[in-house]
Amino acid sequence: MGIQEVQSQSGASAYQKRKKAGRAEGFQESLLQNLKNRDQDKHSDTAVEPEAKQTVTGMQIGAKAKAEQAGMGRIGAAQGIRVNAAVAQKAMQAVEVRHMSYEDSDHVRIAVTEGYTLKGKRENGAEPRVYVEAKYEDGRVEAYQVEMARVSGQTGHVIEQFALETMKEGRAGI
Amino acid sequence: MEQKWSYLVDEYRSMLYRIAFSNMKNRADAEDAVQEAFLRYMKDEKPIQNKEHEKAWLIRTTIHICLDILKSGWYQRTVPWNESFENAAKNIYLPYQVRDDETLEAVLRLPVHYRNPIYLFYYEDYSIHEIAGILNEKEGTIKTRLRRGREEVKKILTEGRP
Repeated sequence: MGIQEVQSQSGASAYQKRKKAGRAEGFQESLLQNLKNRDQDKHSDTAVEPEAKQTVTGMQIGAKAKAEQAGMGRIGAAQGIRVNAAVAQKAMQAVEVRHMSYEDSDHVRIAVTEGYTLKGKRENGAEPRVYVEAKYEDGRVEAYQVEMARVSGQTGHVIEQFALETMKEGRAGI
Repeated sequence: MEQKWSYLVDEYRSMLYRIAFSNMKNRADAEDAVQEAFLRYMKDEKPIQNKEHEKAWLIRTTIHICLDILKSGWYQRTVPWNESFENAAKNIYLPYQVRDDETLEAVLRLPVHYRNPIYLFYYEDYSIHEIAGILNEKEGTIKTRLRRGREEVKKILTEGRP
């Protein structure tokens, strides 16, 4: 009985070894197959990707251009200021703040209920320009250079309207 | 010495008058407050560090004098000369400022803790940092008072009450 047991045990271990070898072979085969399939997928992906990327970037550029046309840039997002035309982007340019005093300004508008003040000064040069400084209730100060030749007389933009007033009614004009 | 004082008066008289007027709302009392501020400055023996410190000291003192006058028993028993607002406020604007008496009147009707930050920020063009220094308050407090004060001004203009 004891001998039989030993024999059957040895038979079982031999079977186990065969089984393991078979499994290993099968695993190797399936692994190789999977690797092949993955390589094929990668090739097909790379063939499609550039086109997709181009489409996405094209959409982004299109959206950016549309936003610029609608005047939704940095200036358009500023509090209390509405930008309603592409002209505004061209006529107005954000510049460095000079911290000009009321005394140095040609024209001042105090809008307590809207939470901002505007200071304007006419600039000497070949083309008429107005420097406008806007101070907001939260402490922000922003400055713009407005090229008057590009500003429409019927503009609805607050900064441009103020620049026009500075040209017409400002201290230097009195 | 006399030159120094006359320089000081020339430099700050108009600004201090406007600040005093925003608190007193009549010309005579505003002028009294400014004179008192200059007198205190001349008598004060503390060294003034620089021009900004000097300006802040004068503004702060003027505001305190105004508040002292408003609280005094004498002031509360008297009736100010009935001067039209338009006439009284004519010196409060700089010549090239867009004049808006209605809003200015609303600002002057605000409680003192809103009125002074709003007046200094909008009409005297001080920054939040400077106002905090002048009024000895935190910048956050000044921002809050500016926002709430603006809402109060809107209420006064639309509903006629603070």
